[in-house]
Amino acid sequence: MQTINKNYFQLFSIPETYQLDIDLLGENYRGMQVEMHPDRFVNASEEEKMWSVQRSSVLNQAYDTLKDPLKRAAYMLERQGMNIEQVSQHDLGIDLLMEQMELRESLDELPKNESALDALGRLKKEVSEKLNSREESFSSMLMDSELATAKKIFHEMQFLKKLLLEINQGEEQRLGY
Amino acid sequence: MALLQISEPGSKPAKPLHRLAVGIDLGTTNSLVAASSAGAVEILADDEGSHLLPSVVHYPAGLEPVVGQGALDQLTIDPANTIISAKRMLGKNLLDIQAEGDANKAVTSLYQFDQNSRDGVPQILTAAGLKSPVQISADILGTLASRAESVLGGKLEGVVITVPAYFNDAQRQQTKEAAKLVGLNVLRLLNEPTAAAVAYGLDTKDQGRIIIFDLGGGTFDVSLLSLQRGVFEVLSTGGDTNLGGDDFDRVIMDWICSEAGLDQITDSKSFARLRNAAIAAKHSLTEVDIVGINFENWQGALSRAQFIELSADLVKRIINTCRRVIRDASISVDEIDNIVLVGGATRMLVIREAVAEFFGKPALAEIDPDKVVAIGAGIQADVLIGNKSANDFLLLDVSPLSLGIETMGELVEKIIPRNTTIPVTRAQEFTTFKEGQTAMSLHVVQGERELVSDCRSLARFELRGIPPMVAGAAKIRVKFQVDADGLLSVSAEELSTGMIAEIQVKPSFGLNADAIEEILQSSQENALADMEARSIGEARLEAQQLIDALASAVEIDGDLLDESESLLIKAAIEKLERANTEGDSSEIRVLTEDLNRVSGNFAARRMDLHIGAALRGESIDMIESSSD
Repeated sequence: MQTINKNYFQLFSIPETYQLDIDLLGENYRGMQVEMHPDRFVNASEEEKMWSVQRSSVLNQAYDTLKDPLKRAAYMLERQGMNIEQVSQHDLGIDLLMEQMELRESLDELPKNESALDALGRLKKEVSEKLNSREESFSSMLMDSELATAKKIFHEMQFLKKLLLEINQGEEQRLGY
Repeated sequence: MALLQISEPGSKPAKPLHRLAVGIDLGTTNSLVAASSAGAVEILADDEGSHLLPSVVHYPAGLEPVVGQGALDQLTIDPANTIISAKRMLGKNLLDIQAEGDANKAVTSLYQFDQNSRDGVPQILTAAGLKSPVQISADILGTLASRAESVLGGKLEGVVITVPAYFNDAQRQQTKEAAKLVGLNVLRLLNEPTAAAVAYGLDTKDQGRIIIFDLGGGTFDVSLLSLQRGVFEVLSTGGDTNLGGDDFDRVIMDWICSEAGLDQITDSKSFARLRNAAIAAKHSLTEVDIVGINFENWQGALSRAQFIELSADLVKRIINTCRRVIRDASISVDEIDNIVLVGGATRMLVIREAVAEFFGKPALAEIDPDKVVAIGAGIQADVLIGNKSANDFLLLDVSPLSLGIETMGELVEKIIPRNTTIPVTRAQEFTTFKEGQTAMSLHVVQGERELVSDCRSLARFELRGIPPMVAGAAKIRVKFQVDADGLLSVSAEELSTGMIAEIQVKPSFGLNADAIEEILQSSQENALADMEARSIGEARLEAQQLIDALASAVEIDGDLLDESESLLIKAAIEKLERANTEGDSSEIRVLTEDLNRVSGNFAARRMDLHIGAALRGESIDMIESSSD
């Protein structure tokens, strides 16, 4: 497959930067799916159908990676040769560990009923804001090729994202669905 | 070609160069067929002008099957040979059907199934022989196809058939098989909610985010789609396979009984009258504020406000499902631009009001909610067959349930999470667990839970011929591929030898439709229990790997150990082994850590011996695989 030889940014003809134009990404993705999707090859030969399924799958994979801030960060780090699967406590630093513990404690300490919903909402806002600011610093570290720092921020983003999911789950459980 | 065309009286002439393709809504209760003519898509009527074809087939002895209203008329006369709701049986085996709850019992208890059928394929004994759900569906499709061919005046070149978003692999496969049986070329299986969006999308040229709210007699589906410049993207889906308009009838029936001081009605005729009274009241309440009800000797009145109160629990379930679908797409309610209503039950004011309140705007309902799916399918058929130009519009659909593989410790590794856009190919690398392992058994599962036993098994296959290596050294790439119809195939490849095994997920392994909502429900309810289960599973796995690695390390390099060290390690291993069968996750973790510590020096000496200082800081099982 030729498309696989291009990186995801080249695939969608957008500049390889962390802060990207999501609307442009979506527009180019949809434009390319219009050309390559299996629905366009219903009357074509088996070979062309196969080609289309493969192309279309690659486009879906690439779009799924780039549109998500965390997956995009992981992808860009890996392209710089960083191994994001491997993480030691040393990489993370004591300040992050403290922050993690505090945030997690404030989540765990909330009552397990509807009375916690307001507090959950505030916590969610706080965590989202932290996540946004980490995304900005990640972008500038990556731009300055400070890869070790960028990787550290990436792991922080991972943690915040996970916490956000847990907050959402906590909300759902307390709302009873 | 200068020949003049003369059309049959009463039928529309086929347009030159217009390839005939139709959309079919193959419903549980009624089916419809739609086709485009002169730019607009319309429902095709039969000779008597009716649009809906009851999804009922009557199989008399020695005669051709009767499909539709004629068959429905036989339901009370010859119930054993008159098959209704065949759609509910598609893709299931006999055991699934017999094990099912109330929803299907009413239907399946009417029939006699052949108990000796091969592979548990359900076969109903009729006067005209054994009939499978595929055959029955094929007869319905055949009737719709000949209706279309006689109205359109030509042979159909292709059909688009709609299926519920929650249909699994097996149900989709069998829908396609039914079409093939009557010689139809299936251009695409289209999810019903998506079809509804198509019907509205093209008519109104909307841009933005759309909720498709589909409340039928017995099922509920919600889909969130985004539409931009003619491309529909399904962002998320959800639903409840045991919630529908019938449940609203039931709350009115219960209310009448309690008001009239009646216990459970067991007499079937009396029950039918009660049900009719409830349905009539439900319908009236869409027009008037209060309705009088007569049942047996009792008289009473039900107000709209009372009805709202009675159905509050049902409405809450419905709205919660909407909320979850919106959450899955990571957006908020106010970002929804349009709500499309599908299914007869959306005519109820209590639904319309609840929907309008939750979304902060009224829903679209200009197209008849019973016909909107077929119209969308008709539009899609016209596009796929090539009558519309390529850049008209495109659908990007998602897979509704997560697909994954069983890993050590009976955990599920999700390879394709639910709501992933299809077609999709995802690969993940796995490794061997035991030293010298030459085969790997792969278990493909579907569901949202973390443990294999809580998910649905789809298929099992084996990859053989892995060259013997230390644990963790082999690399096996497992690839999942879901095509544009939502059908799955899986392959596994050992990367050093290129040895490949693959499987197409077979229909008979498919997921029982009613089990799907249960899976989604329980994945939410059990998130916490799952986390502990996963945590202990992982702890056990890690402990076992460390023990195995150390055992084989001692065997090779035991001479690097002095006696006291050797005893310490042995004791730590014993403790950990005991905890691994009896202890909780934190105990296992602590003891794993202990074993790591007492064996640390040994690991360091082995490391120096084998590969020098390059791997400092690695845990011992990593060294085990790298030193090979």
